Amino acid sequence: MKANLKEALAHKLLAMADDELVVGHRNSEWTGHAPILEEDIAFANIALDEIGHAKIWYQLLADLVGENPETYPDRLVFHREAAEYRNIQMVELPIGNWAFTIVRQYLLDTAELVRLGELVQSQYQPMAEASAKIRKEEIYHYRHTHAWLQRLGLGTDESHRRMQNALNQLWPYTTQLFEPLPDEALLVEAGFVPDPHQLRLAWEKLVLSNLKEANLATPEDTTPIKVQRDQHTPHLESLLAKMQEVARLDSQATW
Amino acid sequence: MTDTQWPRYEVFEQVSEDQPHQNTNSIHAPDGEMALMNARDVFVRRPYCVSMWVVPADKIFSKTAQELADPDWATNSEIESVSTSTEPYYVFQKLKHRGSQTYIGIVEAQSPIEALQHALAVYSEGNPLAWWVFPARFVTKSEPDDIESMFDPSLDKTFRDQSEYHTIAMMYEIKKRARQAEDSE
Repeated sequence: MKANLKEALAHKLLAMADDELVVGHRNSEWTGHAPILEEDIAFANIALDEIGHAKIWYQLLADLVGENPETYPDRLVFHREAAEYRNIQMVELPIGNWAFTIVRQYLLDTAELVRLGELVQSQYQPMAEASAKIRKEEIYHYRHTHAWLQRLGLGTDESHRRMQNALNQLWPYTTQLFEPLPDEALLVEAGFVPDPHQLRLAWEKLVLSNLKEANLATPEDTTPIKVQRDQHTPHLESLLAKMQEVARLDSQATW
Repeated sequence: MTDTQWPRYEVFEQVSEDQPHQNTNSIHAPDGEMALMNARDVFVRRPYCVSMWVVPADKIFSKTAQELADPDWATNSEIESVSTSTEPYYVFQKLKHRGSQTYIGIVEAQSPIEALQHALAVYSEGNPLAWWVFPARFVTKSEPDDIESMFDPSLDKTFRDQSEYHTIAMMYEIKKRARQAEDSE
């Protein structure tokens, strides 16, 4: 593989892994606090799944750059500063209320579903295989968050209002979902990843029809958040402070 | 005070294609689809199954062998609405005290009482200890296509495996060393 293609692939894997990790960690904050016991268990499962997906992508990255796939993920997760993370801003926002969490997770699940549906045909074989595995779980995540979206969107005045507010807050951040990385064109050309513009169109089609069925509407007159993945809100720093606290106490400790 | 608890659903799992569905658990949920998902998340994240059914507990018509020993059980049962046409009812039965309600077949009937009467005529072998019948239309089922996303992922989760829990192994080791230190004193 040519050096610049390899580098672009490393960037992409890191971006995908960081998105999964950060939202997985955010979701784990609901453990013990979700609205009902059953959902507490379900949402903790989803959080675990996302962190598991992050691990898969970090390990692919380790293989690609010649690092140890057993130790490299921990190093990336626990020993990078906020500025070195490459996740989109949507995933680092605080969990907010239940409506906010559900809408965010729904928007991410649909994006994952659309992306993985294409990535299973990636010309980079390890990526195609990992995508097939991850996609199974994302199909279920989508079913779960879509069910909540409908029930809260069509539920009471209050649940509808909360969902619409959440959507209004989150929608500007969706611009980043399919914003290509600076060198992503190389990957598209090599058939490693699908064209992000096409993905965005397919995603919008799915989301807009789901939202309509749930009596929710995308906000008008919003300012899209167009920033690169090295730009973060202050929320990421506080998330990392908590997540990395124990590992950084003794970086040589073995578990 | 009003009861804010969601209705109870009974959960049936099929562990493999050649086994019947068995009642394993119950779960609260606002509707069948959520009940199916809640049951999946709570009960089969680790143990494996290939199919899952849920039915609202209040749709189940239930009789024990003792109750059925009364010759007037049918007339003494609370009158259910009788429909003008027949519909399929699922029949479950419990054969052993330590067993659970297990699927045995389907009967066509106009009411739960009639469904149980038909079931008694056809499925009484083994002298069941208790019976459940309920209309098929109240059942929410996983589909064969759901296996891949609902049940398969649990198969390769390392958290199913106790050896993944290093802390437990470490605690055993610490205790063992402490005992050895005590013994050598």
